[in-house]
Amino acid sequence: MRTLTTAVLWMSLCVSATAPAAAKTFDREVAADPKGIVDISNVAGAIEVTGWDRNQVSVHGELGEGVERVDVTSEPGHTTIKVVLPNNSGHHDGSAHLKVQIPQGSELDVSAVSADVTATRMQGVQRLQSVSGEVSAELAQANADVKSVSGDVTLRGHGQAAGVHASTVSGDVKIEHAAGDLEVSTVSGDVHGSLDGARSLRVRSTSGNVTFAGKLANGPTVDVESISGELTLKASADGGYAYELTTFSGDIGNCFGEHAERTSQYSPGRALRGTRGNGSGRVHMKSMSGELMLCDK
Amino acid sequence: MTQAQAQSGEIDWEAGLVQRARAGDARAFERIYREHSGRVYGLCLRMTRDVQLAEDCTQETFINAWRALGRFETRSTLGTWLHRIAVNVSLSKRRKSGPVESLPDDDTGAIGDWTLETPVEVREIEAAIDALPDGARDALVLHALYGYSHDEAAQMLGLAEGTCKAQLHRARRLLRDRLGMEVLSA
Amino acid sequence: MKIKSLRDLPQEIAPPRDLWPGIAAHIAPSADAVKASDVAAARPAAGRIVRLRWLAAAAALACLAVGMWIDRSLLPFPGKVEGGALTVSTKGAAGPALDVSYVPDARYQRQRAALLASLQARLNELPPETRTKVLASLATIGKAKEDLERALGKNPGDALLQELLVNTYQDEMRVLIDVHTASNSGEGI
Repeated sequence: MRTLTTAVLWMSLCVSATAPAAAKTFDREVAADPKGIVDISNVAGAIEVTGWDRNQVSVHGELGEGVERVDVTSEPGHTTIKVVLPNNSGHHDGSAHLKVQIPQGSELDVSAVSADVTATRMQGVQRLQSVSGEVSAELAQANADVKSVSGDVTLRGHGQAAGVHASTVSGDVKIEHAAGDLEVSTVSGDVHGSLDGARSLRVRSTSGNVTFAGKLANGPTVDVESISGELTLKASADGGYAYELTTFSGDIGNCFGEHAERTSQYSPGRALRGTRGNGSGRVHMKSMSGELMLCDK
Repeated sequence: MTQAQAQSGEIDWEAGLVQRARAGDARAFERIYREHSGRVYGLCLRMTRDVQLAEDCTQETFINAWRALGRFETRSTLGTWLHRIAVNVSLSKRRKSGPVESLPDDDTGAIGDWTLETPVEVREIEAAIDALPDGARDALVLHALYGYSHDEAAQMLGLAEGTCKAQLHRARRLLRDRLGMEVLSA
Repeated sequence: MKIKSLRDLPQEIAPPRDLWPGIAAHIAPSADAVKASDVAAARPAAGRIVRLRWLAAAAALACLAVGMWIDRSLLPFPGKVEGGALTVSTKGAAGPALDVSYVPDARYQRQRAALLASLQARLNELPPETRTKVLASLATIGKAKEDLERALGKNPGDALLQELLVNTYQDEMRVLIDVHTASNSGEGI
């Protein structure tokens, strides 16, 4: 009986020791400039930013027990939100799930390590960076600079012209309804995009496959390059474009019925050059060994 | 910062950016660049008529502005101040290309508005402006496109006001010849 | 589009490319992305230190992109090795062993060496899954460089290969800088 009592005592102690601490929440609201800068940094967890039409920054956080505090500072034209972890956070849960509402005209600057980042209904410039988290954003008419090392990047445009720069090392990049000027760089991530009046498109990949389809603006400038990744462009432009596809050892395909030619009698290398429509734009595709495919339908 | 201030929009956010940039905050200066690069590049491109030169001019303008931020006085707007720097940079880039043309005698009567008799394609007007001699084009771009007064445009170009007006007259005549229509005064 | 007045012409024209990196390279602090002081320095506001690092990285990359060149006049015929240059030998080439030398500028070489020296330590600071993926990507770039250099050894005058190789060096540098900066991200937070 005493053994049973002792056992029950030990069990209850163990249960209480391992019972999860109550999740901390954090709420704060500060006034903000309608076009000010909002800086948000968080190591782990998630950052969800939504633009609204109030001149305020509202922060709601669900904080792991390893989070020391959330600092929110406000100066004229500049609001900073920072998740602070103690120096030796050890095994404690240092993640924080932040939901932040900010003036939609703000310039948004987000920096995360493994936190996922999401931004919606923003009208101002966006700079979103995560090391391993996924980054997802709605594009508006302002420029966007989005980076992740190993996380995927997903951007959703609405056909509004903007300067967009997306960069990963191994993460995939997906862009919908891209307009304006688009620049994408990756090493091994795949890149997929739909074009909705893009004025310029520059893509660099080492081994990732690149696929874009849709409509280019009049007089577009397109430069797509990879070492071994496959490059596919199925896009038309009202004024047409002059195209040049060159590869050292890859194949060249097209829907124009044209055939690539050897660039030299004495060395590998093939090229396909021609013009569609009035040729008022320019499309260049290059690879070392990756297959190139161009179509304007 | 109080909520009332934010809501009333009284905060001069640009002055705040300038203040931070002056203190060495490159991030604030980048914001200034993002806000004004289009207008600066537009001016540089129209003055230099060359994309590469215009890019150099734009970069040099902002680099010079960064170095001179301590001398920026808020009595002129930041955009105007940047334009002044851009004009200087554009002119210095062009000085190497040859002697400045001398102006024929001209009347310096009212210039007025820059309305066209009939609507014209943007491309056509840009080409016509592009074809103007440097001095006429500079004066036209600053006055007719960017809305600077004769006095302001003259100061930016380092000219006497009368000379600037003469260049504007010349620009108007040449545009009329090129477009085959009057560029009307008010 | 037709307009009725010169005042209707657009005042703003977007530059064809982002000019900020070139500007940042001139105005950013002289400390480059790989100096130890960049890591150990006293910390101003958290957001600012992360921004400064990315800014320094962008500036460094811009400088390298501008400064890096490949001296095509020094591209040797197969079998020649240029003394003192960054030499990469191909392995397992079908033909005779080819040493293909390229001469990126001195600053690029120093930057690359410094970044590589601290690479393992930097990688250790990344989340494990990210570390694995970055290593795989660097291996992909390494293989791409080897393939390009091997091909250039047989076709030294091929402009496409030369251009792709230059771009691959730049891509490698971008990844090294991104890893360096990413591993510091937690310190500013």
